[in-house]
Amino acid sequence: MVLEATMICIDNSEWMRNGDYNPSRFQAQADAVNLICGAKTQSNPENTVGVLTIAGKGVRVLVTPTSDLGKILACMHGLEIGGEMNLAAGIQVAQLALKHRQNKKQQQRIIVFAGSPIKHDKKALEMIGRKLKKNSVALDIVDFGEDDDGKAEKLEALLASVNNNDTSHIVHVPPGPNALSDVLISTPIFTGDSEGGSGFAAAAAAAAAGGVSGFEFGVDPNLDPELALALRVSMEEERARQEAAAKKAAEEAAKHEKGEEQPSSSQDATMTESASVTASEADNKRNDITDEENALLQQALAMSMDDPASSHELRDTDMSDTAADDPDLTLALQLSVQDSAKDSGSQTDMSKLLADQSFVSSILASLPGVDPNDPSVKDLLASMQSQSEPQEKKDEDEPKEEK
Amino acid sequence: MSAESASAIQRSQVDLVDFVDWSGVECLNQNSSHSLPNALKQGYREDDGLNLESDADEQLLIYIPFTQVVKLYSVVVQGPEEEGPKTVKLFSNKEHMGFSNVNDFPPSDTAILSLDNLKGKPVGLKYVKFQNVRSLTIFIEDNQSGSDITKVQKIALFGTTVETTDMKGLKKIEDH
Repeated sequence: MVLEATMICIDNSEWMRNGDYNPSRFQAQADAVNLICGAKTQSNPENTVGVLTIAGKGVRVLVTPTSDLGKILACMHGLEIGGEMNLAAGIQVAQLALKHRQNKKQQQRIIVFAGSPIKHDKKALEMIGRKLKKNSVALDIVDFGEDDDGKAEKLEALLASVNNNDTSHIVHVPPGPNALSDVLISTPIFTGDSEGGSGFAAAAAAAAAGGVSGFEFGVDPNLDPELALALRVSMEEERARQEAAAKKAAEEAAKHEKGEEQPSSSQDATMTESASVTASEADNKRNDITDEENALLQQALAMSMDDPASSHELRDTDMSDTAADDPDLTLALQLSVQDSAKDSGSQTDMSKLLADQSFVSSILASLPGVDPNDPSVKDLLASMQSQSEPQEKKDEDEPKEEK
Repeated sequence: MSAESASAIQRSQVDLVDFVDWSGVECLNQNSSHSLPNALKQGYREDDGLNLESDADEQLLIYIPFTQVVKLYSVVVQGPEEEGPKTVKLFSNKEHMGFSNVNDFPPSDTAILSLDNLKGKPVGLKYVKFQNVRSLTIFIEDNQSGSDITKVQKIALFGTTVETTDMKGLKKIEDH
């Protein structure tokens, strides 16, 4: 929802006749521009967008920054293809057009479609970039079409010299079956910096994704964005949960066949620790535990705890430990219990931890923001390594107390 | 000249930081981690560790609007010896200037800062040009050593407001 004035620089050089983007580079570019204009004007009604062409006889401003979407779309008609792209002049004219915007409170942004080879050298581009940064103008670059040597490098250098706190972005779009606009929809150019995506973008994405109704879940994001968002989030959560369960079950089978190794098992012990830690963290985020679910889970736990095998008891301690915390966790744990029930009873503590660890690692992987390979996570695990043994004994005591 | 400006500080001068309209304050070409409040805001500017630094090159353009009309007497610009500002141009009542048009108008006053100024000695201004100031634009053109980054520790503006005059301050003059 940032208040922004945007200038879009369109490449209408000879290179745009090429058909490697469907139907032609120029058409794909025009579609993308239309979508961007719509998204910008929708995200904030005071946003203004202007358009200029950077090839042809010379840089030509088609429309100065305006919030009138019709005017912008109309000027895209009847554009002629020809000439060579002049990136430097195009950016400078765009900067000038932004300088004379009516509402000085708007942030300045330039979006450049670079489809043809760039004849400027890196130094010149960097100077332009620095000038943009000095005047606090953000720059988005769409690198598509021709891919000669050094073009990507030059554009990256330009981006690096403009970029101030990640307000500028670059997107490389290789030719392929996906339309240019579809690829751009998911990029920060469309969604804006750290926004969830405007309602327009969501509708466009849903339409692009397919579906006869054109909208996911049969709900129009424009009419009821909160409902659409809630449906989408819950769908993703369910999918993630199922993936975690499936992954863990698959890893279970693989791990039991491999057998245990001492060093990895100690790591697994620590992973279990971190599992309960991260699980409780995740719980704090997800407060959707109902009493009904709890009661059902307790029943299931009681059933599983009646199993006389000693190996299962210990696993149950883990389960009861986490039962109060997270019903989803316990459900998945239950699945793992049933799977390993078929295995021979020669399981040691380590193998149990292994089983937990595979489940744990899948949990860790599915948790947003937690990377099991992160050094800080690994350090945490290493520091908790010593606590793993006494924790096991504590677990045995706990269920007895709970009962 | 310096004696006059020194006494001007004492004579009913107020630190105009209280009258700065913070919502409109802008600074072009500042480094985002070393930003303008470090040099301008009470408390931040006393801390020598917090500086305003320039980003892409050594120039800085600072726009300060005021909540009411003020008269400006003097300015204190403090900075390190090497990277502190040297040529400082002041424009009164010019809004939304950019680096490209900063040289189109003659400045209301220009100050070349000496090392004494950088230590805290106030710079007296052409009083007649700053009688009716709604906003002040400070253009720092270069720094002492010519390095790529200009650092400013403190910017303080001294003057009086037009609507309200400090009666106690006037009395002090009569005592003298």
